[in-house]
Amino acid sequence: MAGQSDPHLSIFSASEVEFLAEDETMEIVPNMRMDALHMICGDFGPFFPQIATKVPLWLAVTLKKRGKCTIRPPEWMSVEKLTQVLEAERESPREFQPLPFHYVEISRLLFDHARDDIPEIYMVRSLIEDIRDVRFHKVESGLETISARTHAVKLKNLSVMEVNIVRPFIVRALQAFYKHDSPEMIPQPDATGDRRPPVANRGPRRDLRPR
Amino acid sequence: MALYYDIDDIMMEEELISVVFQVGANGIGLLDPGSETNRIEQGAKVDLPFWLAHELYLRQAVGVQLPAAYNQKTRKEIQADAACVDLKSRCPYFYELGCMIAPLVRDRTIGSFLLYTFVSRYKEILSKAHRTALAAVPKFFPLLTREESHLFEAAHSSMAAFKKWRLGGSRLERASVLGRKRKSIGEMQTPTL
Repeated sequence: MAGQSDPHLSIFSASEVEFLAEDETMEIVPNMRMDALHMICGDFGPFFPQIATKVPLWLAVTLKKRGKCTIRPPEWMSVEKLTQVLEAERESPREFQPLPFHYVEISRLLFDHARDDIPEIYMVRSLIEDIRDVRFHKVESGLETISARTHAVKLKNLSVMEVNIVRPFIVRALQAFYKHDSPEMIPQPDATGDRRPPVANRGPRRDLRPR
Repeated sequence: MALYYDIDDIMMEEELISVVFQVGANGIGLLDPGSETNRIEQGAKVDLPFWLAHELYLRQAVGVQLPAAYNQKTRKEIQADAACVDLKSRCPYFYELGCMIAPLVRDRTIGSFLLYTFVSRYKEILSKAHRTALAAVPKFFPLLTREESHLFEAAHSSMAAFKKWRLGGSRLERASVLGRKRKSIGEMQTPTL
């Protein structure tokens, strides 16, 4: 049961997240003629040669494997766009750039199955790796600021895979901080004079990025 | 109170704590290996597991002493360099036991000491946990208490799982049954044929 998630660690395993990403729509250019496909999630097609159409990623990959189509890489997967994103990521140390929610999984699936459809694939691949590294480093430096006063962490624009990696750690760390900062453990010097509920004493919430 | 079925909580309650008997007690000489009679005198110092010490404390039979893991010497070491202190050998359930024992010894500084310790060691765990290579176990890992090593492993294994996924490999895994050789079945069948 390799693809199944471990209940103690995180809610999803990487392959499950990949499975979810396969529902994203992709543009393909078929090279065969086929009637429309009627699925529970919607109707796709009909397919005509050289007429672009939109299908879910899993269908795109299946057709690609059989040589029935070429996949048009999404707009954000171009070298210019990714270079811009990487620069912006490096320039703003506290903000994440908006990227597709499933960008890690989509890019890996396309690299695996549609390498001939992506122009400058080596450049694109290394750019995505760099972006991911920069973003993950940002997450880590953000986590350093977690303290006993933190009771929520806001991570805007983070992609599902990145969240999935840090989720077990963040959850455990926040639980531990919460436990050790509980009012029973830390005597509050002004507890008698100040009748506020204990939650109000937990300080402002600390964001990983400014709002 | 501790969770009934949590193995860590059960193990934590087994930690030995030294207590001083406030009353003399007959018939429990086995608790004190040094005693020659079957009696514990008033004022005798005995090491008891936490669960027993706690119950006796509630009956005002014993006074609990501060374990060495929370004394001034350890606190000085933690203040000097928290990440290098070997807390596991002192008490593998440092934080959990600390929370439980604080009301027993009436030491109101234990709570903030635990928090300070965790905050300073948390940074070290964070910086190492996602970075270290998959197979390598960092040098400081044996120093971590139970709670800290859980935290470390949570980060380490999720990163390892992600790296494994990224490097790819076949998405379909072969069931272990299929890997077996058919030969044994054939041999079993030959006599009947």
